Amino acid sequence: MTVTVSASGLTLRYGGTRALDDVSLRLGAGVTGLLGPNGAGKTTLLRVLATAVPADQGSFTVLGHDPGSAAGRQDLRRTLGYLPQNPGFHPDFSAFEFVDYVAILKELTDRTARHREVRRVLDAVDLSEVRGRRMKRLSGGMRQRVALAAALVGDPGFLVLDEPTVGLDPEQRVRFRELIAQAGEGRTVLLSTHQTEDVAMLCHRVVVLAGGQVRFEGTPAELTARAAGRVWSSAERAPGARAGWRTGTGTFRNVGDPPEGADLLEPTLEDGYLLTLGDGEREAVA
Amino acid sequence: MSTTVTPPAVEVTRPPAAKDRPWAAVLALARFEARELLLHVPVFVFLLLYLGYSVYSLVAAERDGMADYPVLQDADRAPQSAPQLVALAVLLCVNHAVLRSRRHGTERHFGVLPVRPWRRTLAHVLSVVPFAAVVAVVVTAEFAWAALKPGAVGHGSVAELAVAPLTVLLAGVVGVLLARLIHSAFAAPLFVVGLYVLLVVISVASDGTSPHWLTWLSPVVPETGGAPLPSALLGRPAAWHALYLAGLTVTLLGAALLVSGRRTRPVAVVTAVALAATAAGVAGQSPGDSRQLTEARTVASVSPEKDQSCALRAGVRYCAFPEWTGRTADWAAVVERVERLAGGHHDRLTVRQRVEARYGLTGDAALVPLAGPGQITVGTEWGGNRVPEFAVGVASVLVAGSEKEASGICDARAVTVMWLALAAQPDPMSAFAHVRLDDGTEGPGAVLAPTEPLAMSAEQTRMVRELLHRPSEDVTSAVRAGWTELTSPETSLTRVAHLLGVRAPEKEENRDDPCAA
Repeated sequence: MTVTVSASGLTLRYGGTRALDDVSLRLGAGVTGLLGPNGAGKTTLLRVLATAVPADQGSFTVLGHDPGSAAGRQDLRRTLGYLPQNPGFHPDFSAFEFVDYVAILKELTDRTARHREVRRVLDAVDLSEVRGRRMKRLSGGMRQRVALAAALVGDPGFLVLDEPTVGLDPEQRVRFRELIAQAGEGRTVLLSTHQTEDVAMLCHRVVVLAGGQVRFEGTPAELTARAAGRVWSSAERAPGARAGWRTGTGTFRNVGDPPEGADLLEPTLEDGYLLTLGDGEREAVA
Repeated sequence: MSTTVTPPAVEVTRPPAAKDRPWAAVLALARFEARELLLHVPVFVFLLLYLGYSVYSLVAAERDGMADYPVLQDADRAPQSAPQLVALAVLLCVNHAVLRSRRHGTERHFGVLPVRPWRRTLAHVLSVVPFAAVVAVVVTAEFAWAALKPGAVGHGSVAELAVAPLTVLLAGVVGVLLARLIHSAFAAPLFVVGLYVLLVVISVASDGTSPHWLTWLSPVVPETGGAPLPSALLGRPAAWHALYLAGLTVTLLGAALLVSGRRTRPVAVVTAVALAATAAGVAGQSPGDSRQLTEARTVASVSPEKDQSCALRAGVRYCAFPEWTGRTADWAAVVERVERLAGGHHDRLTVRQRVEARYGLTGDAALVPLAGPGQITVGTEWGGNRVPEFAVGVASVLVAGSEKEASGICDARAVTVMWLALAAQPDPMSAFAHVRLDDGTEGPGAVLAPTEPLAMSAEQTRMVRELLHRPSEDVTSAVRAGWTELTSPETSLTRVAHLLGVRAPEKEENRDDPCAA
């Protein structure tokens, strides 16, 4: 893997809480999923990498740009596309105007070229037809796509997406996945999500964050493999299971340490994620 | 716990996605924001109203005839007041625009984009520049329109012309700074209302007239109401005021940049220099009228001959302040027309330009009639109604001998005076209506003149009306033939009617109080 984003020892405290605790990671081209429960520090990590907040300790580089200096930070921002969680929008701007405005803030100053670029990204997110419509008249899914277009404008080398599929219906989520997959071609995308499905479908690598710490970094297959031999089926919920739920067939799917002779099942990414979180908690208690 | 993977440590760098052109981005953003600002209803409406009003005032001025004879030291500040509504709209709307990102939660996103907040602040300020430029163009066009008139006199001031666009710029900067200081949409409207209330309270507390230093803290100080004064008597600290406005604008811009995070030495230095310029402007504009100016105004009001030069035209002396000497030909044309109708029955005449400058630019005190025989007052305005009014003054002196003798004429001589004054006008009946306070040609009424008004009874009005409908040559012959009787205060209205060949009044007017009719 060619490393495009490299972080080392990132630590950030909010009062007495360590939102990030010695986080180190390396990302390459393609889509990397950032999984973690609420309060894991995902958004904080993205905000640090997007230079919205500085880390108390540690350092990172994006495409060779070190935000430690003002000039480096500025260069980094020029390579950055950022879609924050719950992105705001200007209701009286049209979709085109909003993306155009962001394009100007990204220093795309040639009017003709900029407008061409804005049309390109709106076309990429399939909003060409409504580009003149005011933002307040667009559906939630359309607004989210406008926000993605705003992140994509200027062809950034590093795209940071903070839970972009939250609030979208299944069809919109599928459409969004397509867009993110396209965006990940030839650039580095860090996608924060609660949805293991998104990671399974989209990402070539995954980072699991919990309690401000990296619990796993690898491929989705490696995360899934963590659950190999630890998922089994039973007629009742197994008492020792970390998690268990009744499936559509009426049997229970259990995740944890199986008893002797258990009916083992093929693990999924979600199983690996759950076990990774559970193992982490156990290690923390120990 | 920290987890690191050990992939090949090959790092790549990408060229920046955008070229390093932060200033070009500021200008592009300013253009975008200017367009958005124009689409704000208050800005669009008030700008349209302002442009419409400017065109209307030009047309209206053309219609009343005064526009052909502008006095440039007044014309330069006449356009200052109208753009204030544009400035107010710009203040409120640019404030709204600056708060947009915060209001709609986009600040989190925009905060990590390459154009830094202070540059966005600067772009918002620059977005106001086109509106100030439009105002500057309109003001310049209005002034140039006036200055290019052949009848224009006096001197304009660049500093006065700069006030209106500077006011718009200042308003924009105030709006931006308020938004950077107080993140509430209510701050700007409350600021405007608070400022207005403060000015009213101070004005009331100081007997309705604000102190000079306070008056000049206001961006626009129009000082209108009085007749135009010679440039040297204006006493307006226009240059200091322009410095004050420019300094304040740059100071507040510097403050806005500092608040937005641009805490650099150059910005601090520029802000400090601008603050010093503002202070210098305030100090320069605050003292009020100097003793020399007061003395000069008194001399111009009481002994204008000390400041004037005179020229002789067809036996009549025309004395004018230096800036008005080019207007003597227009005055002479009126005097010659009235004299021709009167048949040359007059003493040596002197037309004296006069002003009442002792009460400043806003004082509209009437000029006292001159006692000297053959002395005729002419003011500093010309064109429109001022022409027949001057003709009334000339005719009054020809008939009564002097302005003092003529003041308060309301006996039968008023008929001769009015016919002499009006018969030479291009449209006598229209001039008759316009020269009367009531704009009518029937019934009793007061007639405007350069000094004191003339009172006309209903019968006198009727007789003048009838005379104006008769052939001018016939009346001229009758006037010349009966001049001695027509100019005597003892002659009755019935006798005047007989001499001029019009219907006599059915009942002779009260000789003790002829004005009562």
